[in-house]
Amino acid sequence: MLKNYISNMRGAVLAALMLCGASLVAQTTATGVINGSLVNKNGISIQFDTDAAGVTLGAAGTSAATANFGAVSAFGPLSGGVTRPSVTAANFTVRTIFDVQVVQGGLTSTTYTLAANLAAAAPTGLSYKVDAVTLTTASQTIQVNGSYNTDIAHNLDLVVSTAAPGAGGPAVGAPITTTINFTATAN
Amino acid sequence: MKKVMLLTIFAALMMISSAAIAQTTASGTLTVTATVNGSIQLVFNSDASGLALSSGAGTNAATLAFGNVSAFGALAAGIVRSTTATTFTVSSAVDVQVAKTNSASANYTLKAQLGAADAVNTWSVGGVAVTNAAQSTLTATGAYAANSNFPVAITVPFTTASGTLISNSINYVATAN
Repeated sequence: MLKNYISNMRGAVLAALMLCGASLVAQTTATGVINGSLVNKNGISIQFDTDAAGVTLGAAGTSAATANFGAVSAFGPLSGGVTRPSVTAANFTVRTIFDVQVVQGGLTSTTYTLAANLAAAAPTGLSYKVDAVTLTTASQTIQVNGSYNTDIAHNLDLVVSTAAPGAGGPAVGAPITTTINFTATAN
Repeated sequence: MKKVMLLTIFAALMMISSAAIAQTTASGTLTVTATVNGSIQLVFNSDASGLALSSGAGTNAATLAFGNVSAFGALAAGIVRSTTATTFTVSSAVDVQVAKTNSASANYTLKAQLGAADAVNTWSVGGVAVTNAAQSTLTATGAYAANSNFPVAITVPFTTASGTLISNSINYVATAN
C-alpha cells in the first residue's frame, strides 16, 4: 500500500516537474506582429522670417512672429531696418520688410495665394499696408503666385496721421500693437 | 440597397473633399508694434522779397550768399542796405518754416546762434543780435506750418578790406512749446 502511494507520489512529482519545465521553456521566447499603417496627408505651412533689410522679427521662423518698429515719427530718427518712404502734411509712412515662406508637401500645387487681414480695426490715426494693400478686418489678397519653399519679401507699411492725439492722430509715447492674420492657400 | 451605397460613396467623397480643402491652407499671425512720437521739423525757404537761397531751400541746411556787397555800390536784388558813419549793414529776408506732427503744441520757440565767433562783424537774425556765445531767442511764439521771415543781417565796418570774404554759419533750434 505504502509502496503504491510512494510510486504514485513520484509519478505526480515527475509530472509536475515536467510541466514546470515545459512552462519555463515556453517563456523564454515570444513572437508578435504589429501591423503599422499611416496616411500621408498633404498640406502647407507658413512661417515669417527676418529680412536682411527689415527689423529683426521676434519668433522668426514660426507662424506667430512679431515685428517692432520701435519709436517712429515724421522727422525723428528711426530704428534700424525701418525706413520712412514719405512724409506729407497729412501723414507719414514708415516701412519695414519681412519675409514669408510657405512650404508644401504632397501637393501638385506650384504656387500659393497669400491673403491678410487685421485681427481688429486699426487704431485711431494708423493704417497698415502689406505691399501697398491697405489692410482691413476683411481678408484681402496680397499675392496670387507665391513660390513655395523660399523667402518672399513683403513691405509692411505703417501710415501714421500727423494729427495730434485726440484730433484724429494716434496716441503718442506708448507702444501700439496690432495683429495681422495671414493665410496662404495652395493654388 | 443601391441608394445606401450611393449615399455612402457620396459621404465618403464629401469627407475626402473637405479634408483636402482644409489641408491646402496655412495661417499665421504677425504682431506689429510701434510707438508714435511727436516731432517737429525746421526748414529754410527763400523769401520772395529776399535773396534766393543758394542751396538747400526746403531743407534744414541752406546757404545764403550775399555775393559782393559794399557800403555804396550796387547790390543784388533782394538785399537791403543801411549805413552809419562807420558801418554798413546788408540784410536779406529768409523764411523759416517749422512743421509739427502728432503734437498738441500751439507754437514754438526759435533760437539762433553763430557757429563761430566773429570779432569784426555783427550778425543779427530777425532783428535779434546773434553771437556764438549763446543762443538768442528770435521768437517764443512761432506759428507752425507757415513761412516766417527772419531777415539775416550782417553789419560790416568800413575798415574791412575790400575783397574780404565773410562767412559763418547760423544754427537755428526750434522747440515745441
